[in-house]
Amino acid sequence: MSTETESKGIKRRDFLKVIGGGAAVAASIGCESDRVEKLIPYLVSPDNTVPGVSTYYATTCRGCAAGCGVIAETRDGRTTKLEGNPAHPVNRGALCSTGQAEVQALYNPDRYRSPMIRKNGKLVAAKWDEALKLFAQKLGETRSRGGAANAVFINQHESGSFPAFLDQWLADFGMPAHVSYDAGVDTEAIAAHTAAYGVAWPRFDFNAAALIISFGADFLDGWGPSVPQQLDWADARAKLVGAPRLVTVGARRSLTGLNADTWLDCKPGTEVMIARALAGQMPVADAAQQSGVDAKRLQAVVDEYHAAKPALVLAGGHIANSAELFAAVTALNRANGAVGTTIRPDQAFLGYEGIAPEAQLRAIGDRMNSGAVSLLMVRGANPAYTMPRSTGFAAAMKKVPFKVSFASIMNDTSEMCDLILPDHHSLEQWGDAEPVKGTLSLQQPTMDPVFDSLATSDVLIRIAKGDPATAAKYPEPDYRTWLIARVPGGEEGMRTGLPTAIVAGSALARTAPRPALPAIPAAPALASTSGDMFLFIYHHPVLGDGRGANKPWLQELPDPVTKLTWQTVVEMHPLTAAKMGLDNSDLVTVTTSAGSLTAPVYLYLGIRQDTIAIATGRGHINAGRYAKAGENAYDLVPLAENAAGGIALVSTRAKVVKAGGSMLLATTEGSARQHLRDIARAIPVGELGAGAEKHKEPEEEHLPGDASHEFLPGLRSPVANDAQGDFGDPASKDLGMYNPNHWSNMAKRRWAMTIDLARCTGCAACVTACYAENNIPTVGADWQTPQILPDRTGFGANITRSREMAWIRLERYYEGGEDGSADFETRFIPMMCQHCGNAPCEPVCPVYATYHAPDGLNVQVYNRCVGTRYCSNNCPYKVRYFNWFGYGEPHRPQYAFPEPLNWQLNPDVTVRGKGVMEKCSMCVQRIRGAEHRAKLENNRPLRPDEFTTACAEACPSRAITFGDAADESWSVTRLIKDERAYHVFEELNTFTAVVYLKKVNHPSPATEPAHA
Amino acid sequence: MATATKPVEDVELLRRPNIPSAEVRLPAVKDYEQVDDEITATLHPTAQWFIGLGVAILFLVIGALAWTYQIYTGLGVAGYNPPVMWGVYIVTFVFWVGIGHAGTLISAILYLFRAGFRTTIYRCAEAMTVFAVMTAGLFPILHLGRPWKFFWLIPYPNWRYIWPQMKSPLVWDVFAILTYLTVSATFLYIGLVPDFAILRDREKNPVRKRLFAQLALGWRNTDREWRHFVRAYLFLAAFSTPLVLSVHSVVSFDFAMSDVPGWHTTVFPPYFVAGAIYSGIGMVFTIVIPLRKWFNLKHYVTINDLDAAAKLALFTSLVVGVSYACEWFVAWYSGSPAEKQFFANRLWGQWWWASALLYTCNICLPLSLFSQWCRRNTTWLFILSIFINIGMWFERFVIVVPSLSHEYEPWQWAGYRPTWVDYAILCGSFGWFSMWFLLFIKQFPVIALTEIKEIVKPRLKFRHAQGVDSTAHPLPFMPDTPGEFD
Repeated sequence: MSTETESKGIKRRDFLKVIGGGAAVAASIGCESDRVEKLIPYLVSPDNTVPGVSTYYATTCRGCAAGCGVIAETRDGRTTKLEGNPAHPVNRGALCSTGQAEVQALYNPDRYRSPMIRKNGKLVAAKWDEALKLFAQKLGETRSRGGAANAVFINQHESGSFPAFLDQWLADFGMPAHVSYDAGVDTEAIAAHTAAYGVAWPRFDFNAAALIISFGADFLDGWGPSVPQQLDWADARAKLVGAPRLVTVGARRSLTGLNADTWLDCKPGTEVMIARALAGQMPVADAAQQSGVDAKRLQAVVDEYHAAKPALVLAGGHIANSAELFAAVTALNRANGAVGTTIRPDQAFLGYEGIAPEAQLRAIGDRMNSGAVSLLMVRGANPAYTMPRSTGFAAAMKKVPFKVSFASIMNDTSEMCDLILPDHHSLEQWGDAEPVKGTLSLQQPTMDPVFDSLATSDVLIRIAKGDPATAAKYPEPDYRTWLIARVPGGEEGMRTGLPTAIVAGSALARTAPRPALPAIPAAPALASTSGDMFLFIYHHPVLGDGRGANKPWLQELPDPVTKLTWQTVVEMHPLTAAKMGLDNSDLVTVTTSAGSLTAPVYLYLGIRQDTIAIATGRGHINAGRYAKAGENAYDLVPLAENAAGGIALVSTRAKVVKAGGSMLLATTEGSARQHLRDIARAIPVGELGAGAEKHKEPEEEHLPGDASHEFLPGLRSPVANDAQGDFGDPASKDLGMYNPNHWSNMAKRRWAMTIDLARCTGCAACVTACYAENNIPTVGADWQTPQILPDRTGFGANITRSREMAWIRLERYYEGGEDGSADFETRFIPMMCQHCGNAPCEPVCPVYATYHAPDGLNVQVYNRCVGTRYCSNNCPYKVRYFNWFGYGEPHRPQYAFPEPLNWQLNPDVTVRGKGVMEKCSMCVQRIRGAEHRAKLENNRPLRPDEFTTACAEACPSRAITFGDAADESWSVTRLIKDERAYHVFEELNTFTAVVYLKKVNHPSPATEPAHA
Repeated sequence: MATATKPVEDVELLRRPNIPSAEVRLPAVKDYEQVDDEITATLHPTAQWFIGLGVAILFLVIGALAWTYQIYTGLGVAGYNPPVMWGVYIVTFVFWVGIGHAGTLISAILYLFRAGFRTTIYRCAEAMTVFAVMTAGLFPILHLGRPWKFFWLIPYPNWRYIWPQMKSPLVWDVFAILTYLTVSATFLYIGLVPDFAILRDREKNPVRKRLFAQLALGWRNTDREWRHFVRAYLFLAAFSTPLVLSVHSVVSFDFAMSDVPGWHTTVFPPYFVAGAIYSGIGMVFTIVIPLRKWFNLKHYVTINDLDAAAKLALFTSLVVGVSYACEWFVAWYSGSPAEKQFFANRLWGQWWWASALLYTCNICLPLSLFSQWCRRNTTWLFILSIFINIGMWFERFVIVVPSLSHEYEPWQWAGYRPTWVDYAILCGSFGWFSMWFLLFIKQFPVIALTEIKEIVKPRLKFRHAQGVDSTAHPLPFMPDTPGEFD
C-alpha cells in the first residue's frame, strides 16, 4: 500500500486533486466566452417538429392580389422556401418569382423590429403598450374632435375576410370604409371587365381560342394573375398543332409581346384604331396610317381575325384613352363569341374585386392637402411612392396631423408616418382569401414572428377591446378566433381545411357588400404633351409597383425582357439611338411636364422608334437598403387619368437629351443573337410531322459529333471510369459505385431533364426558385463591390462584370429584325449545368473538385475546389459561377444574407465559401433526400416523378421536366424521345443530360415570313 | 633561333571548326588577368545599383500588398469578368515562362550547336531564366481562388487517397514548371562553380570568401575537375534541351487541351515554344544592352554577338508569324462558326487594338532585323526588344482573354477590364524579377569568366597560329560572312 511510502511531501492523491481542481478552475475561467449561448434540446418537441426534418404548411401568398396557394417548407421553426400548392385552384402548384420572394419579405433586414414612434422628428423604437396607447389616444382625440369621418385608412388590397373586418372596425369607430389600393394592377381593365362581364377578372381560356390579340396586356407577366394565365397559355401552346397564335399590339413588346407570333408596333394611344380596324369600323389603310403600323401586316391580322372563331382580345397597359380601347375590345369579344368560350366570367379570379382606382387616392391626396384629413392609416400599401409626384400625394401627406402605418417593412410611406405598428408578415399571421368562387384559401402562420410585430387585425381587436364603446362588439380574443367563426364549418372546417389551406365555400358571401366609393371628379386634362418621343412607362415585371424593390432576389433577377438588374434604364430602339448618337449605357435625361430623370440607355429591339420606355419599381427614397437602386419612373408621370380613374402611365411625350457620360449596364445579356450556334432552336408548326419522319431514319454509323439521345446509365464518361473504387488501381476490375449492380443502384440511374421551349415563356420564376433552394447569393448591392475598385458604379456593379451567380439563367435570343424592323422572333432558353455525360469541366480540374457521379450527375465538391476556374473556361455552356468574394461570410460587406435573411438559407445546401466554383447540382439535395426517404420506407424503389427540382417545381408554364432517363416509367424518358428533342452543342460530344424540345413557331397564315 | 618553336604542326588545329578566337571575336580582351579584373570589377555595388534595387523592391512591395488585399477580400478585386475567368495573371504567367526559355536555349542548345556568340551572354540569359521561372511559378498560385490550398495540386501521400487529376493540364504544369526550375537552376549553378573558385580566390571579405568557398565546392582547377566539369556541363546541356521544348509545350496544353475556340488547336506547342524563345531573346536584349553599357563590357558582349542573337530573334519572329497564319487558316478551314467568329472578333471586334499591337510588335517591327544596320544598332535593338516584350505579353493576352470572352455561348459573351490590383501584381512581378536579377549581378559575374578564358589566348611564350595551311603557314581567319568582323 502507499501508506508504506511515508513521504513528507504532498501525496499523490492530493496532488491529483489539486491539479484537477486547478485545471477545472483554469478551464472555467479561461474558456469563458463573451457570448453565453444555450443549447437546449427539445425534451418534448412541439407537434410536427422533428429537428432537421421539414414541416410543410399550406397557406396563401399575399404577394399580389391573385391569392395563390403556397406550401411553406419550415424547418426547425423557420420557413425556408415557398412552393406552389398543387391542390390550389389558382396556381396549381406553380409559383412566380414575386411569390417565391415573399420569404425575403419575411426575413427582410429592413423590417421594423418593434413599434416606432416619431419623437422630435425621428422614428424611435417603442414598446407595444406605449405604441398602442398612443394609437388609442389619437383615435380618441380624432373622435372627440369630430374628425372620425375624415379619417382615412388605406389598405394594400387583399381579398378574403380582413377587408370586411376592417370596414366593420372602422364603422365601429365612426370612420369611413377603407380604401383598398393596389398600384400593381390594371384598374382600367378591372373596370372594363366589371362593366362588360360582371367580374373584375375573368379567366381567359387560351386553350379555347383560335387567335389571341393582346393590346398591351402583359398577361404572362404582371397583368392579372400571371401564374394561372401562364399555366393556361402554356397548355394552349403545348397543343402545338392548332395552338392559338398570339398577336400583340402596342408600342413596346413586353414579355407577352416577346412570346407573340406577330407584333403590330402602333403608336401609344392608337391601339384603338387597330381595334376599330379589326371590327371593320375603320378602313385598314387609315388605321395603319394613323397608328404607324405597316398596312400589309395589319391587313393580315385583320384577315386572320375574321377567320378565327373564337378569338380572344385583351387590352391593358395604363394608356390614357383606355376607355375607348376597352369599349372597342369588349365589342370585338362579344362579336367573335369570346364571352363564355375564351372569356370565362364564371371562373373569375375574385382577388381583383374591390380595388379602388388611383383617382380615389388622388382625391385623398387633395383632401389631405386641404387639411381635411385628420388621421391617416396605411397598411401595406406605399402610396407615397406609387402615386406619381404630380398627384402631390406624398407632399400632401405631410399636412396630416397624425399618420399611422401598419407596414411590416419600411417603405416610403411608413417612413413619413408618426406611429408605426408593424404588421406580421403574411407568413406569420392568420387570414383568408377567396381567389375563385366557392373556394376559400386559408392563410396560417408558418412560424413564430421574426420580430416584435403584431398582426394588424389583432391590433385592431385590442384597440377595440380597450375602448368601452366598442369592447362589447369584439368578444373574440384575437383575429384567429374571429376568423374561425366565419370559415365554413367553423373550428372543424378550419382543422380539416388547413392541411391544404383550401376550404370549399365562401367567406365573402357572408360579408356585407363593400360600401360604394365616393365619386371622384375627373382629373384636369393634361395641359400639353410636348416632347420628341412617346414615353411608355410600365410596371416592372418582377418589382411590380415597387413592392419587390427591397428583396435582393427580385432586384437581381434579370427583367425577363430587358435582362437588366438593379438599374433603371431608358429603353430605346437601336435605330433611334444611332440617330441621336447614343449607345448602350450612355446617360440621357428624360423630361416631361411632371419631372425629369437621368438614366442609361438600353437598346431594345422591341420598341417603336418614336417611343422610349421606362419601368417603375426602383428608385425608392426610404424603403430599405436594396430599394435605393435605380430611378423612380413615377416622377415622370404627369397627372393624367383615364375614364376609369386609373393613372395613365402612358399618356405623354418626353424630351430626351443626351446627358453626357455613361453608366455601365448591369445586364446579364451578352449577345442577343445566336450567331449560327443553334442554341435555341425552333420548328415551324407545319414541319412537325416531317421532322418526325426525318428523325426516325436509322443512323448508319456512329460519327464523331453524333451524340444520340439514348442515355446509358452510369458509366458514360471516361472520367467516371477513373473516379472509381480501388483507389485508381488500373488492374482492378472493381468499378465501385460505378458498377450498375452496386447495391446503391446509383449507376442504374441517369438524372436528366427536358425543357420544352414551346411552353417556356421566359418568365424566370425558375431563377428565383433556384436562388431560394440553393442559397445562391445576390451580388449586386452597392456595398458588395469593394469600395476600392476604381470602376465601381453603385448598384449592380458586380453584375456589370457578369458576376451574377444565377445557376439557371434565361437566355433571350432574337431571330430576324437585324434591320431594326418589328418583325423579329424571340426565343427563350433556360440554361443551366447540362450535366454532360462527357463533361469538359471534369478532366481539367487538377484536384478532382468536379467529377462524375455514378448516377450521371456532374458533381462539384466545394470543399475540394481550389479555384483554378479552368472548369468554367472549358464549359461550353458557361454555367459555372465563381465566388469572387466571401458572400457567405457575415463580417464582410459582401455578405449576401444580412441578418435575418440568412434564416431563409436552405439547411440542406452549403453556403459556398470565398474562392470556389459552384453550379447547378440538379438539386442533388432533393435527389438524395428522396433516395433516403425511399430507403427508410422499407427500401422501396423511387416512384416515377416522385420529386422534382426547384426550377421544375416552380415553373408556371410546366416547361421543365426532371427525372431518371434510365427508367422508362419517369415521364422525362417519354419527352426525351420527342421529335423536337435536341441537345445544345451536340457537336462537342458532351452527351448532355438536359434535353431541349424545340420551340414551335406559328407563322401567320398570310404572307408573314417564318423564322425557322 | 634555337629557342624558336617550330610552327604548330598539330593536325588537330586543322580540324577545328571555323570559330573565331578571342583575337577576332574579342579583340580588346588580351589576357586572363584582364578578364578577371574587368568582370569582377562589376561586382562592386554602386549608388545607381542601390537605387535600382530600391525601385525593384518598391514594386515588389506594391505587388505583395495588392496580393494580400486580394487574398483577404477575394479574387473579385481583380478585373475578372466571367466568362473571362483567366486574365492578367495567366497572361503574365505565360509571359514569364516564355521569358524563361531563352536562357536555356542559349546556354544549352546553342552550346550543343557550338554557337560562339552565346559565350558572352549565356550567364545573363541563364540567370534571367531562373528568375523568370521563379516569377512565373508564383502566378498559378496567385490566381487561385484559394491560394492557401495550392499544394493540393501536388501529389503528396495522404490518408484520403486523393490524388491530383492527372488528366488536367494544370497538374502537368506543376510538374513541368518545377522540373524546369530545378534543372535550369542546377545548370546555372554548375556553370558558376569554376567562377566561384575565382571569386573565392580574389575575395578579401572573410564572410564572402567563406560563402564563395562553400559554393565553389572545393574547386582546385585540376585537370580532373575540368574533365568532370565539362562532361557534367555537356550532360546538363543535353538534359535541358528537351525541357526547352517540353515546358512551353505543356504550358500551351493548358490552352490546347481545352475546347475553347481560339485555344483548341494543335499548332499551339510549337507556336508557344517559338514564341517563348522569341520573347526570351527579346528580354535578353532588354537586359544585356544596358548591362554591357553600364558595366563597361562592350568589348565582351560585342556587336557581333548581338547581331547573331538578333538573327535568332528574326528567325523566331518569322516562326511565330507563320503560327499566326496557321491559326487563321485553321479557323477558316474548320468551318466552325464559333472558331470563325472568334477570329473575326479577335481581329476586327472588340479586341482589334490588342491584336493590332501584337502583330505590329511581333511581326512587323522585327522585319527591320533583315537590315544589318538595324541588327548592329544597339539603340534600335533595345527599343525593338521593348516592343517585343510588349508584343509577346499581348500575344498571351490575345490568346487568353479574347478567346474566353467570345466562346460558344453568345449570351455569355463579355468584356474584360483589369483593375489596379491586376496592374499592381503585374508590376510586382517585374519588381520581384528585377530584385533577384539585381542581387545576382552584384554577387556573381554576369559573364562567365571561365568560358571567356576558353577563347582568350593564355599568355604564352609563343603565339599559336589560328590555323595553318599545308605548308604550315598561318591561315588568315575566314569569316562566315564577308565583312562580318570588320
